[in-house]
Amino acid sequence: MTESLLENLGWKKYIGQETPSYTGDPVLARDIRRYALAIDDLNPIYFDEKAAKKGKYGGLTAPLSYVSWAVGVPGGEKSVKELGEDGLATFVGVPEFPNAWELGWVRGGEELEFFKPVYAGDRVTVTGKIVEMNEKDGRSGKMIFVTSEFTYRNQKGEALAKHRVTMIATPRKES
Amino acid sequence: MNNQVYYEDGVEGQEIPPMEKQVTTVNILMYLSTVWLMDRIHFDHPFATQRRGLPNIVAPGNMAGDYYTQFLTEWAGEKGNLRKLSIQFRSFMLPGDTLTCRGKIIKKYIEEGKGCVALELSLKNQKGIDCVPGKAIVELPLKTIKER
Repeated sequence: MTESLLENLGWKKYIGQETPSYTGDPVLARDIRRYALAIDDLNPIYFDEKAAKKGKYGGLTAPLSYVSWAVGVPGGEKSVKELGEDGLATFVGVPEFPNAWELGWVRGGEELEFFKPVYAGDRVTVTGKIVEMNEKDGRSGKMIFVTSEFTYRNQKGEALAKHRVTMIATPRKES
Repeated sequence: MNNQVYYEDGVEGQEIPPMEKQVTTVNILMYLSTVWLMDRIHFDHPFATQRRGLPNIVAPGNMAGDYYTQFLTEWAGEKGNLRKLSIQFRSFMLPGDTLTCRGKIIKKYIEEGKGCVALELSLKNQKGIDCVPGKAIVELPLKTIKER
């Protein structure tokens, strides 16, 4: 007899649910520089305004993959006291279901579709919704896949990227 | 950036030039502080190993997306564009790892007058473990358009 964990949790009703839109602070040239240094991508278009002007985007831009960080992590800036003991303030992609944390979450994968880069000075807005939920029987028990789709736009309303994040939830093992 | 790759240059089954990335604790620290990520598995060794049973602190998985973005942005050149990137997290990337980004052309097609190349990606560490396999679609310029 197979019992559906997804049904028991009552999560299916959340498919299509939108997350509140969130707008980040303006992206600084310094943020872009530091990010490029962190990933060791030394393309001058991330560092040098003059080189960037002559480059394909005509201005200082961030690596395309920076887009999701360009908004900051909504709800991510918390004091040490407010942070969980694992240091996590929030977990991008973990839906805010009342009983979400009864399960353990890991990230399964992501898909990014790029339309335009983030320029220094841009303010990026993210909107998101839950688009898919599936259940599978894995080797170590049931697994639930929750896919959210986020859209990022700049201050002109231009779409920068679409981002699908798939999170995997599994029942926590008692320790 | 001098040698622009054109759509016509790519052949299905062909490997594009690989790129190596080193994972260091310093890079991880730079990343965490710039994106403001405080998840202790990324910087607190006793927590990561004793409490979470990990072999070491682990690099944020997103860094794989950044490595592939660099790899494909450089390959696409000034006139090409990375359009789509999908990655799957399979194995942790650890400090001290040397990761090799590889891409193989699996399909070529023209869409709305633009040359598109679908690639299969791997990010193997020095032990040959593919930590974050992926797929991508890169748009490349067409020679025929160039000559017009």
